[in-house]
Amino acid sequence: MSDEKTAAAPRSLAEALRARDDASLAALLRSRPDLITPVPSDLTQLATRAGTRASVVRALERLDRFALQTAEALAVAGDPATYEELLGLIAGDAQDPPVAAALPRAVATLREQALVWGGDDRLRLVRTARELLAPTPQHPSPTGLGPTVREATSGMSPGRIQEIVTTAGLPSTHDSVSAVDSLTSLFTDRRRMAALLAGAPADSLDVLGRLVWGPPYGQVTPDPAPRLRWLLDRGLLLPTAPGTVVLPREVALHLREGRAHRAPEPVPPAVEAAAAHPPQVVDATAAGQAHTALATVEELLKDWDEGGPNVLRAGGLSVRDLKRTAVALDVSEPVAAFWVELAYAAGLLASDGEADERYAATPAYDEWLERPPAERWALLAETWLTATRTPGLVGGRDAKDRALSALGPGLDRSAAPEVRHRVLTLLAGLPEGGAPSAESVLARLRWERPLRGPERAPDEDDLRGRLARWTLSEAELLGVTGRGALSAHGRALLGPRPPAKAGVKARARTTAATPAASVPTGPEGAGDKLPVHKLHRAPETSRAGTEAQPQPQQPRPDLEPGPLSPSEQAVASAAAARLLAPLLPEPLDHVLLQADLTAVAPGPLRRPLADTLGVLADVESKGGATVYRFTPGSVRRALDAGRTASDLHAFLAAHSRTPVPQPLAYLIDDVARRHGHLRVGAASAYVRCDDDALLNEILADKRSAGLRLRRLAPTVLATQADPATLLEGLRAMGYAPAAESAEGDVLIARADSHRTPPRTAPEPVPDGPPAPDATLLAAAIRAIRAGDLASTAPRKPTTAQVAGGELPRTSSAETLATMQAAVLTGEALWIGYVNAEGAASQRVIAPIRVEGGFVTAYDHTADEVRTYPLHRVTGVAELADDQI
Amino acid sequence: MNGPLIVQSDKTLLLEVDHEQADDCRRVIAPFAELERAPEHIHTYRVTPLGLWNARAAGHDAEQVVDALVQYSRYPVPHALLVDIAETMDRYGRLTLTKHPAHGLVLSTTDRPVLEEVLKSKRITPLVGARIDPDTVAVHPSERGQIKQVLLKLGWPAEDLAGYVDGEAHPIELAEDGWALRPYQKQAVENFWHGGSGVVVLPCGAGKTLVGAGSMAQAKSTTLILVTNTVSARQWKHELVKRTSLTEDEIGEYSGTRKEIRPVTIATYQVLTTKRKGVYPHLELFDSRDWGLIVYDEVHLLPAPVFKFTADLQARRRLGLTATLVREDGRESDVFSLIGPKRFDAPWKEIEAQGYIAPADCVEVRVNLTDSERLAYATAETEEKYRFCATTETKRKVTEAIVRRFAGQQILVIGQYIDQLDELGEHLNAPVIKGETSNAQREKLFDAFREGEINVLVVSKVANFSIDLPEATVAVQVSGTFGSRQEEAQRLGRVLRPKADGHQAHFYSVVARDTIDQDFAAHRQRFLAEQGYAYRIMDADELLAEDA
Repeated sequence: MSDEKTAAAPRSLAEALRARDDASLAALLRSRPDLITPVPSDLTQLATRAGTRASVVRALERLDRFALQTAEALAVAGDPATYEELLGLIAGDAQDPPVAAALPRAVATLREQALVWGGDDRLRLVRTARELLAPTPQHPSPTGLGPTVREATSGMSPGRIQEIVTTAGLPSTHDSVSAVDSLTSLFTDRRRMAALLAGAPADSLDVLGRLVWGPPYGQVTPDPAPRLRWLLDRGLLLPTAPGTVVLPREVALHLREGRAHRAPEPVPPAVEAAAAHPPQVVDATAAGQAHTALATVEELLKDWDEGGPNVLRAGGLSVRDLKRTAVALDVSEPVAAFWVELAYAAGLLASDGEADERYAATPAYDEWLERPPAERWALLAETWLTATRTPGLVGGRDAKDRALSALGPGLDRSAAPEVRHRVLTLLAGLPEGGAPSAESVLARLRWERPLRGPERAPDEDDLRGRLARWTLSEAELLGVTGRGALSAHGRALLGPRPPAKAGVKARARTTAATPAASVPTGPEGAGDKLPVHKLHRAPETSRAGTEAQPQPQQPRPDLEPGPLSPSEQAVASAAAARLLAPLLPEPLDHVLLQADLTAVAPGPLRRPLADTLGVLADVESKGGATVYRFTPGSVRRALDAGRTASDLHAFLAAHSRTPVPQPLAYLIDDVARRHGHLRVGAASAYVRCDDDALLNEILADKRSAGLRLRRLAPTVLATQADPATLLEGLRAMGYAPAAESAEGDVLIARADSHRTPPRTAPEPVPDGPPAPDATLLAAAIRAIRAGDLASTAPRKPTTAQVAGGELPRTSSAETLATMQAAVLTGEALWIGYVNAEGAASQRVIAPIRVEGGFVTAYDHTADEVRTYPLHRVTGVAELADDQI
Repeated sequence: MNGPLIVQSDKTLLLEVDHEQADDCRRVIAPFAELERAPEHIHTYRVTPLGLWNARAAGHDAEQVVDALVQYSRYPVPHALLVDIAETMDRYGRLTLTKHPAHGLVLSTTDRPVLEEVLKSKRITPLVGARIDPDTVAVHPSERGQIKQVLLKLGWPAEDLAGYVDGEAHPIELAEDGWALRPYQKQAVENFWHGGSGVVVLPCGAGKTLVGAGSMAQAKSTTLILVTNTVSARQWKHELVKRTSLTEDEIGEYSGTRKEIRPVTIATYQVLTTKRKGVYPHLELFDSRDWGLIVYDEVHLLPAPVFKFTADLQARRRLGLTATLVREDGRESDVFSLIGPKRFDAPWKEIEAQGYIAPADCVEVRVNLTDSERLAYATAETEEKYRFCATTETKRKVTEAIVRRFAGQQILVIGQYIDQLDELGEHLNAPVIKGETSNAQREKLFDAFREGEINVLVVSKVANFSIDLPEATVAVQVSGTFGSRQEEAQRLGRVLRPKADGHQAHFYSVVARDTIDQDFAAHRQRFLAEQGYAYRIMDADELLAEDA
């Protein structure tokens, strides 16, 4: 960026880069990391790469709105443009002070990102950026400006141009070029232009008024109305195609008083507190919610303890299972999806990988349960902050119209952690307890990372907007925020604040009050810090023009806005956990028992108590407290779980603050009285005999041990052995048992024939393919002959090239540079190319566009436009002129 | 952060009654939360949209509600819940019903999209007339109740500012000679009168009739009183003559037997809902006079057709009286939308603590079926099962034992099945009052019971309501109408009138163990258990052994 220090102005981006110092190059590479993957071999290559379409698009998409507006203005300015010209376009003839004040920062940002190079007298937008941003009929610019007079008149007959010039009140000239020049200079001269328009009919001015802020194109009939005719005759509207006219850029700029944008947005919209709550209330609410979050995750996994839902074949949770989970957790489905995804991302649940795949808690969950509540929360919060999985997408559809299911594939969004962090940072910029409206946060995010292209309806959110909305609601669910304001522990999650914390807060407070004025004055206000450019000192400070600027930009190393590194995040999470711990309610060891057969736990319960009570009673209502109801069913469940009635009485007496109500004690005894009265077991065969002495004898016989007989009643023995074995065994012992049917009749034993269930005979497996018949043979021969003809025919045209010898070989960087040069010059190249099957060929191509690893070119060899992957091009060589 | 209130995620509020701030908290949350359960330690209130709208109607705003929750809550209140409360309350009053000087009754809005939304509803379309301007639409005056009901269901309750007609004036005064309205009765009358229309919930025996009389003295206009049956009608008449300046001649009875229309007319639900040839011939009663006040006794029993008539009476003041706003048919919200919101409610135990109703000892006696009965029960048809277990032989023995134990006290034996009652009457040597007993005979027996000439009375469910038996101290319930909660409450009410000698009341429910009788009993008792009337459970053997 120190290009101005060198005597000679740089002639190319590469030279401009060469003149920059290391820090400024580092800033470039930090903000555009795609330029160093892989590391370029020299600055020329860096400049080439910085000029590729994909990289420029990426850089433009990461500009804030004002920097983007500045770039758009540069794209409609002359090439090169002076700083003053740019200032005129962006701030208008009136030179809006806030816009003028913000412009140096924007230009510095563009320079830093290598989108603009050259000194203030010769500002140049990188060619690719200019192509992307300059208005064309297909891609209208957000500026709403049309083509220049020169561009619009390029196809016009010289006679018509002279007519226009004369009607506009200018002297006629000898040639079209000078005529267009004089017309342009008329249009750009505010005074003369005003005089010309003063004579315009009012309805003609209306027409101009409709086109001035774009789109600049209008429809006309073959025989235009007089108000249009007046404009067409003076070149204030120029025809572009039959029936279409355009408002030339110079005219539009005159009408707009020089502005390229209707509403330049030099300062970020302030994130203002819509409501302010006392910080204690915020922290307490958030802590309450954090407690709920822990309880919900526990409840979810407890619910899935005995076999969670099945994994869909395509992965993920079925809609039905999600619904059931939502009902079980008593939350809406999107919220249920959030908890499920959170537990998954935190490693607390996963698929069990069995043949019949199900979701279940992981061993990590058991470890998690053992940790103190605040640490458990910290894990969830940290997971949420850094996860790329985006639960908000669940229930939607992907680009291929497949449903996106919770825990399923396709939910990762790489922007998610950054947006979450950014939203929380914006919240952190508000005074403590301040809750912003979602709209102001979204407006701020849209300013920081605007969408290129035509304006969208304000209610239609892009992915970042949706992510931001989800972030706000998820932060509330998780207890990172309380009542919409960032809690103290939520703040700690973002990492340590700069030492002058009080200063930041005070500054942020004034920021919220007077947003427009405070941006330059309060660069440390966290709410107003800009994420895109950092560590740069505006080079314009040396310029005379900026001397008047009262507030030069300051470096802000303390406000790195990006997400923290894993180790930093771990420290921050631990700090958050320490802050949260005292706010979480202390687990209780008692409940209140009431005669209506309910128990109320007036707070969270210690784990063993909660577990036992959860078995003994049904949960009726959850929240700060838990209401349990005892029913015969729930008491039976506890008895089934191995508790005895006296156990239960002792348990209730120990944990109740009040005497155990008589109806409850009675209920337990009553259920216990009947519990286990009926016994159920499995036996596969029995022996019955009216003579119990005989059965005694059998049981006493040692030989019967193998049959594992058990006496169920005086006259009945049961066994796990099957009837046949039992019969055999008893016969071997010398008894004569008879088999009995299900109805109790004696079965007549007769040798029976064993049969399989219905089966089909095996298909024959022949040795080779079946012999072909005549039709098939004829078709095959025809196909072979056709292929043969095809493979011999194309050899002729290529022989000349192949004769040239070996494939050209160059390094990939050289290949790219040569290709890009050829795009600019329009020259044809000779390339070696290896196709997908590995066959090498040589081609002569005229590259048209190089982007995204592909070169689109006119292939002289094939005589059509083709696209080749650059990695398959073995090398390039320029052609001798006579070769085409 | 140590308040008495815990806010649950299902919008119930748990109030710890032993907490020092419990009373303050109760006062603050009562306007918007319904008391759902009131057992010993923790009372449960529920926040419903209806409750919130009623609070709005009574002049409370969302901020007060939120403040109350936040101030008394022990744990932080979830933000979402507060937002939900604010949003719900904000829905009230977007639509108002007013009297327009030119167009009569109109529905107007401050929020045009809301009006558009409700007008799109198919159920609203037949109720409204012409669109007067973008924010106003005419409503047929006869549909005032209907439209309020439908709007409530649509979630956009209308604020009814159309006012009441005064009705024909008639002088009525309370004759407070030697007695006075109790403080809570005064409060109930005041709340009702201030609110315009509504329901007063008081326990049985707490003097609901006097709240009615007090309201009539306030209205000083002709009054129509709707009661459940003739006995109850006579009771009302008796009480009104005794407690107010009204004379016998001013009070008419409109029932199956008599059709008198006087300044104060007491009609039975039954006669109103009699249908002949597809029409209700007695509907004209509503229009026969310019009534200034309509009193609905036992509003939880209001039959469905009366709802329909009531919808047409929205311009008149309406007072509903009940002990339990539990309807087995779940139409509580219709009561609220057509008669009016709950204006007064007092937990039973609170009134008991003030000494206005007698303390009661509730006992459930579990009897075992004999072996042969068990077999019969197991094989009985489903619809017969309850009858089998409810009329078991053992119940008779237990009932006899109880009657013996309390010999000399006034004892009621209440049951469902006539055979069982007849048999009991025979064994206990007591008269039986059932459906076929004539009114004259009933009143004679009641008088005898009141005078102490007979100690034991066996009654069927005909005596469920509004009979006043001041000196009954023991009630034995041998069977009931399946799981009816309000019946149980009414029956307990029979013994809750304060006793001259400060006796404790006893309520015995005899239940067959391990049968659906026991399940029904559990369901029936739930309301009372939630009102703090905990049942003791005893085995029949235990009781019989004690007795022997």
